[in-house]
Amino acid sequence: MEIPYTVHPRPDTGLYNAKVGIWLFLASEVMLFGGLFSAYIFLRVGADYPWPVHDLDVKLGFWNTIVLIASSVTVVMAWACLKMRKFGWYRINMAITVLCAAAFMFNKSLEYSAKFKHYAVKLTDGTVLTGHMPEDEHGHTIPYTVKFGEVSELSLTIAGGSKAVDADPANCVLPLIEGEAGKFKLPDGREISLDKASFKALRQEIHEAEQKKIDDKKAALLEQAAAAKNPEEASKLSKEARKYVPLPDVTLKLTTSAPLKIAAKPSQIFGYTSTSITFVDGTTAMGKLLDDKMTLLVDGVDARGVAQSDKSLAFDHRYLGEGWQKAFVANRDHHIAAFEHDFPTRDKSKSATLQKESLFFKIHSSTPPAEGAAHGEKHGAEAHAPAAGHGGGHGHDYPTVVLEKKDITFFSNFTPKLNTYYAIYFTLTGLHGAHVVAGALVLLYFLVCDNKLLKKDPEHLANRVEVGGLFWHFVDLVWIFLFPLLYLL
Amino acid sequence: MSDNIEEIQKSVKKYLFIGAALILCTGATVWLSYVELPTHGLNILAGMILATFKAALVALIFMHLNHERSVIYKVLAFTVVFAIVLFVLFYFSNSDPLVFEGFYDRNE
Repeated sequence: MEIPYTVHPRPDTGLYNAKVGIWLFLASEVMLFGGLFSAYIFLRVGADYPWPVHDLDVKLGFWNTIVLIASSVTVVMAWACLKMRKFGWYRINMAITVLCAAAFMFNKSLEYSAKFKHYAVKLTDGTVLTGHMPEDEHGHTIPYTVKFGEVSELSLTIAGGSKAVDADPANCVLPLIEGEAGKFKLPDGREISLDKASFKALRQEIHEAEQKKIDDKKAALLEQAAAAKNPEEASKLSKEARKYVPLPDVTLKLTTSAPLKIAAKPSQIFGYTSTSITFVDGTTAMGKLLDDKMTLLVDGVDARGVAQSDKSLAFDHRYLGEGWQKAFVANRDHHIAAFEHDFPTRDKSKSATLQKESLFFKIHSSTPPAEGAAHGEKHGAEAHAPAAGHGGGHGHDYPTVVLEKKDITFFSNFTPKLNTYYAIYFTLTGLHGAHVVAGALVLLYFLVCDNKLLKKDPEHLANRVEVGGLFWHFVDLVWIFLFPLLYLL
Repeated sequence: MSDNIEEIQKSVKKYLFIGAALILCTGATVWLSYVELPTHGLNILAGMILATFKAALVALIFMHLNHERSVIYKVLAFTVVFAIVLFVLFYFSNSDPLVFEGFYDRNE
């Protein structure tokens, strides 16, 4: 079937059909992103924490903006070249556009992966510590885990009719055991391993036994009904026997052949005490809590949520200590004095920049700077060690603190879980990234697969490129608003 | 967009010029975000004005909205109205009609 008006305009609209189509689609896209920008406004207006300003990598965001603007120029140039029948230049411009899209997504992946590895830990007094988890000798992050030792008993619940909790040892408990899991002793004395196949067989055996109990009970009821003299009672008993009875949940207590050690991430745990730990599948292990302290390489102390910032829990003798406290106070007072000097009539508490510069203290060295050297940074809140204190290359040394669980109220890496800012940041940039990929694929298709059309009907291809280009400009247009809203303001 | 080759040839320079202007405006947006204006709200306002200017350049020049057919403007007019409604919706979340007047009569 011939698709009409692909090259020449339709008389009533004055446009070729694809162009009307893409503008209708872009109108719906404006509403899609409009809804999300509206959500951004709601979240920002209602935020009960200092909205992050300049928290993302501004340099990377700036380069990505340049890359997208450049690609917008090249895509419109590609269309113009095609109109002027300069096919070589058309190809070059299209290729640059696709390469720009790849560069944009590469930068985005760098930004995302940095966020996944960066953590924020909220302490009980409102201080937020930012930093990284320690790494092993191969450079792999050592995640925060709760460690249990002397585990001698496991209590597993095998679901019957309901599925509220259902033991899944192969996926939940076994991977958390350090070393060999060994065999587990059942209440009847038999020994089993908890691998998938053995546990499946055990589950089936238990279900069959429970089903047999139910069937036996029903058979007994039917016998009683048959023996009953009173027809009413007989009917009642046989009705009872016909009633559906779900399989009950069965809890099994397994003893370990040797005391086990378990290390579990918080996402794998339902709860724990000093003697027991319950995992997300409902399995409880009895043992002894060995360690639930969190090791963090601190790169920032955000004391904006603390009434007396210099008394922040972060500067407790167990954690960063007096040296860093002095550096923090020196940096804070320096920024406040500079602000008072520059803007004597303004309210200090209303300057988001001053609040951040004076109370969100960035750390770049493992030891506190010498007195008087902690301030004077262009963009504030940063304390640098002497040059020798820096690690080589990209890395920095950071002070290591071992946080007690009772001092932590919340922790997360910089993902949507952390706060509403990161939730909307990932939603908006994720959706925008998906548009970049989709747009680039369409343009790549025109470049690679439409060579026949280029020779046969370049005007048709020019219209295709114009439509693809309109979508690409829209993607650029969305980023023009995303960059200042998420990175700068 | 016009199919006139001469016009397209002329607009090539314009595209490059607009691209450069967009990059300059981006630099200005970054710089302005570090300037301590009397309130942070003013920083946001200035940033959004610059962003809107940049978006207008992209829409008018790159997307050829400076000389398009009327059917497209009609479609976009609806979109713009609804988008603006979305952006001001938050205002209603702050204006609670159930205002507590206090236990006592104001005239007392």
